[in-house]
Amino acid sequence: MNAHLLTFLVFAPLLWGLALMPLAQRQVQLAKLLGLLGASAILVIAAVQLLRLPSDPLGQICLERFPWFTAVGIPVDYHLAVDGLNLWLVLLTTFLVPLTMLGTWNSINERAGSAAALYLMLETGMLGALVAQDLLLFYLFWEAMLLPMYFLIGVWGGDERKYAATKFVLFTLSGSLLWLVALLYLAGKAGSFAPGVMAQVVPTLPWSVQAALFLAFALAFAIKVPLFPLHTWLPDAHTQAPTGGSVILAGVLLKLGSYGFLRFSLPMFADAFRHFSHLLAVLSVLAIIYGALVAMVQTDIKKLVAYSSVSHMGFIMLGVASMTVIGTQGAMLQMLSHGISTGALFLLVGMLYDRAHTRRITDFGGVALRMPVFTGFFLVVALSSIGLPLTNGFAGEFLILNGTFTSGFGWGRALACLATLGVLLSAVYMLWMFKRVFWGPANTQEDSGTAHLHDDLSMREVAVLVPIVVLIFWMGLHPQTFLAASDGQVGQLLAEVQR
Amino acid sequence: MTLTSGQIAAILPLLIPALGACLLPIAALDKDQGTVKWIRGAMFGISLLALAGAFLYLTRLWASGAQPSFGPLRMDRLAQFGGIFVTVAAALAVLQLWDHLHQEGWVKGETLSLLLFSVVGMMLFAASGHLLVLFLALELLSLPLYALTATVRLRALALEGGMKYFLTGAVASSFFLMGSVLLYGATGSLDLTVIGAGLSRSAQPDPLALAGAAMLLLGFLFKMSVVPFHQWTPDVYEAAPHPISGFMSVATKGVAALALMRVLATGLPALGPRFQSALAVLAALTLVLGNLTALAQTSLKRMLAYSSISHAGYLLLGFVAGTNAAYAGMLFYLLAYLAMNMGAFGLLSALGLVGAQDSLASLKGLGWKRPSLAIAASLCMFSLAGLPPMAGFYGKYMIFKELILQGHVPLAILGVLASLVSVYYYLSVPVALFLDKPSGQEQREACERPPAQAPFAGATVLICGALVLALGLLPGTVLEGFARRAAQDALLHLP
Repeated sequence: MNAHLLTFLVFAPLLWGLALMPLAQRQVQLAKLLGLLGASAILVIAAVQLLRLPSDPLGQICLERFPWFTAVGIPVDYHLAVDGLNLWLVLLTTFLVPLTMLGTWNSINERAGSAAALYLMLETGMLGALVAQDLLLFYLFWEAMLLPMYFLIGVWGGDERKYAATKFVLFTLSGSLLWLVALLYLAGKAGSFAPGVMAQVVPTLPWSVQAALFLAFALAFAIKVPLFPLHTWLPDAHTQAPTGGSVILAGVLLKLGSYGFLRFSLPMFADAFRHFSHLLAVLSVLAIIYGALVAMVQTDIKKLVAYSSVSHMGFIMLGVASMTVIGTQGAMLQMLSHGISTGALFLLVGMLYDRAHTRRITDFGGVALRMPVFTGFFLVVALSSIGLPLTNGFAGEFLILNGTFTSGFGWGRALACLATLGVLLSAVYMLWMFKRVFWGPANTQEDSGTAHLHDDLSMREVAVLVPIVVLIFWMGLHPQTFLAASDGQVGQLLAEVQR
Repeated sequence: MTLTSGQIAAILPLLIPALGACLLPIAALDKDQGTVKWIRGAMFGISLLALAGAFLYLTRLWASGAQPSFGPLRMDRLAQFGGIFVTVAAALAVLQLWDHLHQEGWVKGETLSLLLFSVVGMMLFAASGHLLVLFLALELLSLPLYALTATVRLRALALEGGMKYFLTGAVASSFFLMGSVLLYGATGSLDLTVIGAGLSRSAQPDPLALAGAAMLLLGFLFKMSVVPFHQWTPDVYEAAPHPISGFMSVATKGVAALALMRVLATGLPALGPRFQSALAVLAALTLVLGNLTALAQTSLKRMLAYSSISHAGYLLLGFVAGTNAAYAGMLFYLLAYLAMNMGAFGLLSALGLVGAQDSLASLKGLGWKRPSLAIAASLCMFSLAGLPPMAGFYGKYMIFKELILQGHVPLAILGVLASLVSVYYYLSVPVALFLDKPSGQEQREACERPPAQAPFAGATVLICGALVLALGLLPGTVLEGFARRAAQDALLHLP
């Protein structure tokens, strides 16, 4: 089965989701259950099979490759592989999907079966984009993620869902269509869609063309990340999306942007990347500070988490832009830890919303008195999001700041100092929100959110949160488990670029 | 005079639908056609049989590799491609017409007869290398379409649309004829190969020939509804019955593009470079105007009309690139366009929306009631928008790639930006089907409508949805086996 493991992992969710479609209309509970079981089976198979692989692979392992079609002279390969860069992201994806389904079991009342089928189809797009090694294949999976997410936001979202869903699609497409032009141009020059072949052709092109191609690639990835000032779709999408959509969006979809920078932009456009890394670093620091400042003034908890996401993704991009091994490794770790922490925050906010039907901070107060267990979990996750030592957030951010501080360009130290301010700000907005929502006397007004909180977490919800808390501490105490896979490959990647 | 078997083989694909078209009015003479179902069934059966006969004969010709000819009629691979393309589109339209005409309460045999005559004209249009025969084919395909537009003649809108189409079409046809005459004057022949040889003899082309070629081109661009010759499109599509609009948008545009390929490649290769910049400007105008105007439409049919204008722009981009690979890409694009546009127009018939009920608002919430139909139609919409992995993406991909390889990067950027704009209005259909909830008023109106009984139209939409996916999953096979061979065998001398 190992020979076609990746094909199986990528397409099994799609087929399973399609099979659920006819059931979804009539047997809602059954469809939900089968969807959850299918996603869990994918997680188990992925974990068992992929974790047996050598811990520090320097090359691509477990790859599948054969020619797919030759469109007008340029061959397109069906080339999938798992290596150090995407191993843990693949596992994160397979982990988050069943967790999301279980965590939002009762959140969706209408047509829940169809939602389960859509989550599975989305999983195919995400996994395919992560393991695709051929650029056209990557592009196809990248676009295939759009439609399921569009429907998740558009059908099950809040009041402004149509606006948010359309904005999400148009923003993402505006980047990726220009990227497609660059891709086709480059493919025409190289006669192939393989990144390795393209990387050899790029240095022979004039500098202005190289820069334009790099910017076209960067635009598509930066919109996905999203990097300041291209982030405006994110808060809308997050606020309007159903809880599960937000978790997947923050947990995996955004990572594909930074992953794209590492996987394709960095090795293919080494010169241009070095030239523009200053710009990327400055934009990242702006995103960190700006996201944190805007998060501070939010009145909606979910929007606050959404802006905190902009800030945290800024850290990841700063690590990528530092072009040091330690910073890049930090970015790799932070991708995972942001996926876990922010995903968990969205789940927790969703649990609160399901009970209180409001997310306004001022509607709460004294939640700790009504839901002590929930408060405990929220506190742990919030602290990990701030980046408290011992938690996952600290390990990643520390490595990123360390990398930025020691990076080649002159004002790396200044940038690192400014970014550290972002950590401080994240403590401010997170703890201030925490104080207003959870501490103090219970808000006893009749229409307040706190008044609707009658029962604490159920066993199902605890079962969802426990693995997350375990991972938070595991990543904080022993990040080596997660860093080992990418260590060799990141070093090799940067050595080639620095050469 | 005796005909050789090759001559019969060349003309038989045209004769089969023509025979069907002549037989149909006999059935339509029966005054009971409005009341007796089997007579109506027989009429539709005859037309489907005629189309199936032509289709099977053409596929056999294709499989055998024979390229027979009969005087100026050349049944080569390009013409066979055109014939197969038109018969499939017409068969889908006939199936949709059965349901649509019953919903309108206007089942008439002459509709089908006219449709078949138009099919004959289209096949001839794609198969002819002689300007006079081309003109005859143009008239044979256009005149029935003018009448078909106005076929539900109780509606004032239909009559207005038909008249508008006729008047503008007549002007375009006369330009076409005048262009032929001028080319005849310049080269002394109406045969395209002779014209091509005559024009390439002199380094500086005759201004008379240039003017003639431009006028000839105008006739084609009108049929493809390229800006600024597009004004008729939205009104006519709105007036015509839904399946006829779909058929016109697909087949007329398709054969016009095929014939233009032949004319540009065999008749006017010497003038090609001169026309390239003009075509580039027209393509850019068409893309911008078609897409931006479509944004503002509230009627689904008018939106699809402007979308079909914008798709003419993408096809023109293929002409601008002008290589053999680009032509193959355009043929693939046409196949994808056949599936997605017939599916999009078929949705209207399948949901039983008659008369002027073609606003996007009347689709609200219907997706959850007819999920499989709505999913298939949404796939067609995504394909029209060019989202992968649907067929429409690969069509655009092939054209854009050739365009970029030929160095027209700014045009390609304009093209992708235009398709970005188009995503917004194509998404409005799935939005209406799945995302919107109907208001109380609309729900009441929907309850008053009789439930739509449209098994055939529904089936065509499902077929189109499946085709869109299948073409998207196997783009290489279809391109290599079908589109590229059609382009290569007919247009040998292109780069």
